[in-house]
Amino acid sequence: MTESIILWILAILLAPLFAGIIFKVKAFFGGRLGSPLLINYYTLIKLMKKGSVYSNSTTVIFRLGPIISLCSAIVVLMFLPIAGRAPIFSFNGDVIFILYLLGLGRFFTIAAAMDTASPFEGMGAAREAYFPIICEATMFMILIFFFRLTGELKLSAYFAGSSTMTLWNLAGAPLLFIVIAFFIILLTENSRVPVDDPATHLELTMIHEVMILDHSGPDLGLIELGAFCKLFFYSTIITKLILPFDYGLSAITFGLYIAGLIIVYIAIGVTESVIARYRMDKVPQFILTSFALAFFATIITLEFLK
Amino acid sequence: MSQFFMSILIIISGGFLSLIFAKQFKLLKFLAVLLLSIGCLTGLVDVVTKLLQSGTSFASFKYLNIFSLTFQIDALSAFFLVAIFLVSLLATIYSFHYMDDSKHPVRTATNYFFFSILIASMALVVTASNMITFMLSWEIMSLSSFFLVIYKYNEPENRKAGYLYFVFSHVGAMFIFAAFGIVYGYTGSFEFSAINSLPETAKIVVFIFSFIGFGSKAGIFPFHVWLPYAHPSAPSHISAVMSGVMIKTGIYGIIKMYVLLSFHTLLFGNIVLIAGVISGILGIVYALGQHDLKRLLAYSSVENIGIILIGLGIGMIGVASKNPLMAALGFTGGFLHILNHSIFKSLLFMGAGMVLHKTGTRSIDALGGLVKNMKVTGTAVIIGSLAICGLPPFNGFVGEFFIYIAGFNGVTLTKSAFVMSCFGIISLAVIGGLALACFTKVIGVVFQGEPRTNAAVDVNEKGPTMLFSMSILAGICIVIGIFPQLIIQLPINAVSALGLGFDNTLLEPFTKMTGNITLSATIFMVSLLFVIAVQWFFYRGKNITKSGTWGCGFTQPTVKMQYTGSSYASFILDFFKPAAPLSEDHPAIEGRFPEKTYYKSHINDIAELNMNRAIVNPVLFLFDKLRWIQHGDIHLYIGYILLAIVLLLFFI
Repeated sequence: MTESIILWILAILLAPLFAGIIFKVKAFFGGRLGSPLLINYYTLIKLMKKGSVYSNSTTVIFRLGPIISLCSAIVVLMFLPIAGRAPIFSFNGDVIFILYLLGLGRFFTIAAAMDTASPFEGMGAAREAYFPIICEATMFMILIFFFRLTGELKLSAYFAGSSTMTLWNLAGAPLLFIVIAFFIILLTENSRVPVDDPATHLELTMIHEVMILDHSGPDLGLIELGAFCKLFFYSTIITKLILPFDYGLSAITFGLYIAGLIIVYIAIGVTESVIARYRMDKVPQFILTSFALAFFATIITLEFLK
Repeated sequence: MSQFFMSILIIISGGFLSLIFAKQFKLLKFLAVLLLSIGCLTGLVDVVTKLLQSGTSFASFKYLNIFSLTFQIDALSAFFLVAIFLVSLLATIYSFHYMDDSKHPVRTATNYFFFSILIASMALVVTASNMITFMLSWEIMSLSSFFLVIYKYNEPENRKAGYLYFVFSHVGAMFIFAAFGIVYGYTGSFEFSAINSLPETAKIVVFIFSFIGFGSKAGIFPFHVWLPYAHPSAPSHISAVMSGVMIKTGIYGIIKMYVLLSFHTLLFGNIVLIAGVISGILGIVYALGQHDLKRLLAYSSVENIGIILIGLGIGMIGVASKNPLMAALGFTGGFLHILNHSIFKSLLFMGAGMVLHKTGTRSIDALGGLVKNMKVTGTAVIIGSLAICGLPPFNGFVGEFFIYIAGFNGVTLTKSAFVMSCFGIISLAVIGGLALACFTKVIGVVFQGEPRTNAAVDVNEKGPTMLFSMSILAGICIVIGIFPQLIIQLPINAVSALGLGFDNTLLEPFTKMTGNITLSATIFMVSLLFVIAVQWFFYRGKNITKSGTWGCGFTQPTVKMQYTGSSYASFILDFFKPAAPLSEDHPAIEGRFPEKTYYKSHINDIAELNMNRAIVNPVLFLFDKLRWIQHGDIHLYIGYILLAIVLLLFFI
């Protein structure tokens, strides 16, 4: 339990660091030196020191937005087996709770955006409400896949200890599909290229960034921290899937885990550097690909596991 | 039983007294609300104790020496009675300040009269224990609600809505008659217990007929066409009762028939599940496309009926494939959602009623920024929306959680049961996402932002009884969401009384799951407090200023620039274009000095479109050709009747 809590705190503290890797990779592809690795901490500290300006149109819901989006992200991390170690909490069905909790965070992010009466934020909110619908379908398809393999409905049954290795032994080929499907979900849910471009300068083309235009100071800091935690959540899952090895509570486990995380974040950075953002109406097709992959993976397991 | 009939009597006497004192507006309202509330409250107390003891009580009356009217309260009826009395109680209290049209006291009195009849007949429908009693109560229920729908009969659209509802409920009743007729034809008995002895093919036909008949009351796609017309026409507390509990009597009918037929084939489960998936997804897609707040809520009822059917369908598949855990979870999830939906849907209709009452408009795109002046209503509607999206820690999540777990238990099965379970799970996920989009639209456009027209400026939320009802319902949403163990016994008792081959031995997984839901809700709450403390810490002593919304460099923003409900939904609706075609009316802007233009859009319901094309037009055509039969001569009409009877005698 103490170990899990320490890992949870470390995860929240280190999430901004890993997100810095993406900047470095993008700078490398652009032939620049790039910002320092700790850039996200500097940004967070800067934001936390500031005050805030609130729009006259907003109500208390606007202030609740950042709080609930961060809260849902850190609660989700409590159920996540970090580095393959046991999570703080785990029960049968916790995955459903987690997915719906992320939904709660999204509800309030959208509500906070609509609170400002800004046409741009409304546009971002409409997109934010749309794309995750397909992601959720994919997530539940993946859950069906995992449930058929393990008969459990909790993250720790898929990603803790040697269980991921068991999954690979049971159904290695379809699991490859799942890894790709997860990566697509990661890009979508965390507003990365090719679904959304966090670095774009035109509000009309944004999704997540435009929704938080009116947030400032510590509120913005909380949102950013929540976004880092959410990215960390998905990255950890993919890390465990691509490096399923388990060496107990040892340096090798953590070394492998960190190496895996770096690989995932570099992959995100490379994706962002080599492809452009899709046209908005093409995005659903991209996300539906992940559903198709998860669907085929499940169909294949029907044959594997008789 | 006597206490139950006592409550019914008090309720009906409330209705009659309001008619007697129809001239004194204040007195009639006071008497009606008082007696209806007392009746509902005593009824509620009675059925909750009955349900917890799970005994069965029985009463029988001879009527005209031919038919016996028999009533029976078992756990299943008691469960529905809980929802009926609870929602009716709060709707009655709500109506006290809502019905303030003192210029039309007689109309108000009539409304209370039919309202009392509606409550009583709903209670009798779910307690009726033979076919005659059932159909009698069913017809009274349909007729009384018809008169409630045409409350404002001087507006043609309300009369149209009433007419549509009348046709649908009677075509539905015809199907139920047909189903009961088949039973009577085979067994020669009006008793429910006779249904069991039918041959299997007849059972399938009876189930399909009654599914269509009850489905038209419940609002299952494609028999839901009356809902989006009738709910907006009725006064809001009536919409709350109709959408919250009356359509559930259709679900009661389906469950009752399923239990009575006691024919556990996969076919029934598959029919129910597929109907649930289609109703669920299309219901919420159409809801998303609506411009009228109450029409939106009506379509959302179609969606929630879909979720309930998914739960029941999974349960039926579980029974058929001998998986008791899946069956128990599916049914319990469906039952919980019945109760939960009646709570948050009536809350949302009451909220919509408050908005309509104070702004005078139901048009979503005409509103905006209401939460600033309507703090209680706004908060209650937000809680209701969170609950209806199935988000934790609110009550909607609990029911959906059970249905999910049931579905996952079905995933381990083979062949069609596997496919259907996957289908149910994925649809439930998609429905959840769409519901979130739909209700963020309601919150974002109606309650947040800036007022779009003058209707939404300077509103208030006066009306203590209205606020009281909404606060109670919102409170129930949260309490059940965090402590589901408080009420879990109600659906469990109802489900175990169905006698589907599993009993109370399965209680353990439920206590475990409700414990987990409480645990996770507590974790969330504690973390929320923690994050709030963090935010407070960083804002302590800071400089906080107010300013306009950042317009991305544009300095002259107007409220007209805000995203409207239509534009918010258009992106998603585009994806569902084949099922929800959009018709637009928008004259192009032409020339140097363009004319003033406008934009109108309407989302078409394919059920309605096809119903007109495939049923209404051919029927009209046929009857147009048969018009010569009707030429107003009463002697000839009597002749027709005699001829028909003589012809029928040849067959009997």
